[in-house]
Amino acid sequence: MQDNKSNLLEHEVRAEIDRWVAKYPPEHKQSAVLSALHLAQDQNGGWISQDLLDAVADYLDMPRIAVYEVATFYTMFDLKPVGKHKIGLCTNISCQLQGSDKIADHLKTCLGVDFGCTTNDGQFTLREVECLGACRNGPVMHLDKTYHENLTPEKIDEILAAVEDQA
Amino acid sequence: MDKFNIEIDGKTIEADPGSMLIEAADNNGIHIPRFCYHKKLSVAANCRMCLVEVEKAPKPLPACATPVTAGMIVRTRSKKALEAQRAVMEFLLINHPLDCPICDQGGECELQDVAMGYGKDLSRYTEGKRTVKDKNIGPLISTEMTRCIQCTRCVRFGEEVAGFREMGGMNRGEHLEIGTYLDHNLQSEVSGNIIDLCPVGALTSKPFRFKARAWELQQRPSIAPHDALGSNINVHLRRGEVMRVVPRDNESINETWLSDRDRFAYTGLNSDDRLMQPMIKRKGVWETVDWSLALEQAAIGLKEIINLEGADELAALASTQSTLEELYLLQKIMRCLGSPHVDHRVRQIDFSCQDAMPLFPGLYQSIEQIEHADQILILGSNIHHDMPLLALRIRKAQVHGAKVHAINPLPFTYHFDVQHDCVCDPQDMIILLMGIAAALNISLGVEASISDTAKAIATDLQSGKRVTILLGVLVEHHPQSSLIRHLAKLIADQCLGQVGLLTEGPNAAGAWLAGMVPHRQAAGKKANKMGQDAAQLCETPKKGYVLFNLEPLDIGQTNVMQTLKAAKFVIALTSFKQADLLDVADVILPIAPFTETVGTFVNLTGLWQSFTAVSKPFGEVRPGWKVLRVLGNLLELPGFDYEDAFAIRDELKAQVDAFTPDAPAPLPAITKPSAQEGLVRVGHWPIYRGDPLVRRAQPLQDSGLNGSVAAFVHPALAVRLKLTVGQHVIVQQSHAHIQLPLQVDERLPMNVVYIPAGYSETAILADYAAVILGAAT
Amino acid sequence: MKAVKKFFKTFFLWELLLGLKLTGRYFFVRKITLQYPEEKTPTSPRFRGLHALRRYPNGEERCIACKLCEAVCPALAITIEAEPREDGSRRTTLYEIDLFKCIYCGFCEESCPVDSIVETGLADYHFEKRGENIMTKQKLLAIGDRYEPEIAAARREDKEYR
Repeated sequence: MQDNKSNLLEHEVRAEIDRWVAKYPPEHKQSAVLSALHLAQDQNGGWISQDLLDAVADYLDMPRIAVYEVATFYTMFDLKPVGKHKIGLCTNISCQLQGSDKIADHLKTCLGVDFGCTTNDGQFTLREVECLGACRNGPVMHLDKTYHENLTPEKIDEILAAVEDQA
Repeated sequence: MDKFNIEIDGKTIEADPGSMLIEAADNNGIHIPRFCYHKKLSVAANCRMCLVEVEKAPKPLPACATPVTAGMIVRTRSKKALEAQRAVMEFLLINHPLDCPICDQGGECELQDVAMGYGKDLSRYTEGKRTVKDKNIGPLISTEMTRCIQCTRCVRFGEEVAGFREMGGMNRGEHLEIGTYLDHNLQSEVSGNIIDLCPVGALTSKPFRFKARAWELQQRPSIAPHDALGSNINVHLRRGEVMRVVPRDNESINETWLSDRDRFAYTGLNSDDRLMQPMIKRKGVWETVDWSLALEQAAIGLKEIINLEGADELAALASTQSTLEELYLLQKIMRCLGSPHVDHRVRQIDFSCQDAMPLFPGLYQSIEQIEHADQILILGSNIHHDMPLLALRIRKAQVHGAKVHAINPLPFTYHFDVQHDCVCDPQDMIILLMGIAAALNISLGVEASISDTAKAIATDLQSGKRVTILLGVLVEHHPQSSLIRHLAKLIADQCLGQVGLLTEGPNAAGAWLAGMVPHRQAAGKKANKMGQDAAQLCETPKKGYVLFNLEPLDIGQTNVMQTLKAAKFVIALTSFKQADLLDVADVILPIAPFTETVGTFVNLTGLWQSFTAVSKPFGEVRPGWKVLRVLGNLLELPGFDYEDAFAIRDELKAQVDAFTPDAPAPLPAITKPSAQEGLVRVGHWPIYRGDPLVRRAQPLQDSGLNGSVAAFVHPALAVRLKLTVGQHVIVQQSHAHIQLPLQVDERLPMNVVYIPAGYSETAILADYAAVILGAAT
Repeated sequence: MKAVKKFFKTFFLWELLLGLKLTGRYFFVRKITLQYPEEKTPTSPRFRGLHALRRYPNGEERCIACKLCEAVCPALAITIEAEPREDGSRRTTLYEIDLFKCIYCGFCEESCPVDSIVETGLADYHFEKRGENIMTKQKLLAIGDRYEPEIAAARREDKEYR
């Protein structure tokens, strides 16, 4: 018998998960797993630890393996520590035609890291992502949960400066 | 709905509405290639190998996920179908490594077979193949996940059949990997079935790894000797040596599954402990001797006891792992010698209901009927470990809507939903049952308090149309086993249900039929001379003992070792050397385990399943029935001239058929149980400790399902006794004390100490007896 | 006339002279006899002689215990036992060829997926004691080690047709 780890979820997180669970029929509690994983990820500073995966599974009465499956399936869940801010630049065809390559090079030089890496100060994680669904205003990138469109190197500098100012 | 006709490959066949095309084809001998489809699992339709052409459908359709419709015209070998199948095959082979020569599945691989039919000689794929890191999932199953074609049979097995998901698909797309995510030993007691299910060599048997090729193996049918289900097995041999065990389909017993215990116990057959030659003890020193001398010594020893002490001073104890023939001959020898003291119930304490037992203990219904029960009450059984495949049937019933309730003195984990999981001390079990009976308006003659749980269970049971109450080994070993049986019977009668007894070992029913009980002869005839039961035989020493297939570790009685040590003469017929046995015995006769002997097991539905030897006996070992026959001859007893084992079976069968046993005596009266005072030790033989063979199967021992050898208590009790987890404690009983590490389990009742049986460390402790815990200094 | 011819032929030992003529011709013709075993006839690269087990250049034995040669052997001359080696790879613990049973058909060589078991060009070997006809794994590997250049050369020569 494994220990129940659901206590690892913060009280507010559990309340929020309950709100999601309430939206589904009681026998389909597991439908709330995506929301629960998002909440767990936010609680933990952008990534989900092994214990939190188990916690979500235990809280939703799911087999743990089922939660691992979901968490590994979606790219928006990080299972290893990441930077404070996640940047995802679209490099698909539309954005590429609009010059995402140049933006990519600029981002890489500004941050000093390649795609898939985190800056040394732990501020940013840079990623190459597939279509973000805003092709009309390419090149597009997302910074955490915000979209930035019609990117130019200057605009990138502004955006990064704004984030650093905040910090 | 009526059946209707469809046409497959120009052949008109009848099909059930709602069935899938592939089922209709399979039932009519038309083969459609497939990987993900399995008749016992849900349809996944993710391998696409079974694409067939259906008239009026624009594209080929997967036969496993296409329901039949009337007048459907299907072509499985048309150009369009074959092209689709070839294309799928090419896709599947893109990432499949070409390592058939080192793959254990080679020669019995579904992918290999289909590739022979559809594959191209050359691959058009020149890019690098995908590789997947191997997983370590325990000592039973070895993985080679690069070979996986993601049919998800193993995942679906865990989810749908075992009820315990351990395998899953991680990541997605090209990166999809089947595994456990975190490497850990599979905890399922039926995990070995995914070896059979895997259509490729991704999951293979670890003990069998690289030992033999499919084409080298000879297949012989046999019967699994570990639980009363009597699962049908095929033993695979190479040059006379048992290489592995696989299930043999039998819908009414094991379906297509096999428990890990039945599948991997063969690894104990060639253990270093196997006896090769008869041994006799001379002046305290063991000598290996030949059969004639050993048998002579055995006969002389027995005769001496009879002549000097009288036949009454002789007793025989046997295990239920023995065959019907062996048990019959053993009791025949003993009764011919004039001793009625024979018993196989070596772990039972309460014998007051022995006259009330029917001809043999069993389920009194077919195993399939369990699936259709709608209320199941499990009393005193770790059902998943005691009878893994019966538990799968119960799970099926539960999935179909049945409610399952469990009352146990120990906490167990279930892989199905249990409505009421009551864990209470041995006396409270009775009180709870009395409460249920009282709530069902059964007059017990004694006062019974009805708790809320009792009321709830009673209401559920009353609402059931097909109620089954299963009494497990923990009830059999219970000091008031007869009282519990009586209560269960009353409750079942009130709900028009059935009581089933889940006995230990493969042949408990056979032991009753063979007359291996002190109060009844073969075929259930009343014994002329009443013998003493196993508890008495172990309590008050006799001068001579015959131990058949038993190690002192298997005997659950108090004082076994002292009793046996005090005896003048002990003959042990066994397959393995064991320290305790060497200590107490005077003559050891090596007998063949189930793979090397002929015999019959009677399973819990009363089915007589005979099997023959699959391999030659090891060394000088002889089948038990032959040894007993010769012993009978040497003792100059009449009627021991059998030519083969089946003659013995037929003799007994004729007796059973001809004899109508009297109606069983009424069960003993119901008395009010006294409350439990102090702490009580409850023991249980862990899944892989129950018999000599399985104890020697190293992979099973390594699997971790046995749990640890420790004294388990409730955390609050540990606090009260000022003991800490992991600390060594002194476990004290009236006659013995041992030291064990302390473990806690919050699901245990406050006054129960769980200490596993089946280990030499704990063998001295009495089951269901008072115990005192104290800190070791 | 016939009788006269016969008389003269008999008188002058005509047949003997005819025979000596042949002897004389061969006395001067180019010699083709080889001084076996010092000299040997050339053999085909496909010659099927004594067996050998080969190794990879890094010294690792090629055989992976797939047992295809054992299965294909029509004379049941090959016996193999296998188990995982310490590093987890599939290896033989016993590889024996009974040369009394072997019919030198070359099927083992053909079935081998890793070119491990081969038949070398060696045709002259003998046994002195009972039991020596069993070629053990050690013996086969030793032959392979010793004749690797020749074995490799023969495979190279024949590679177009394999």
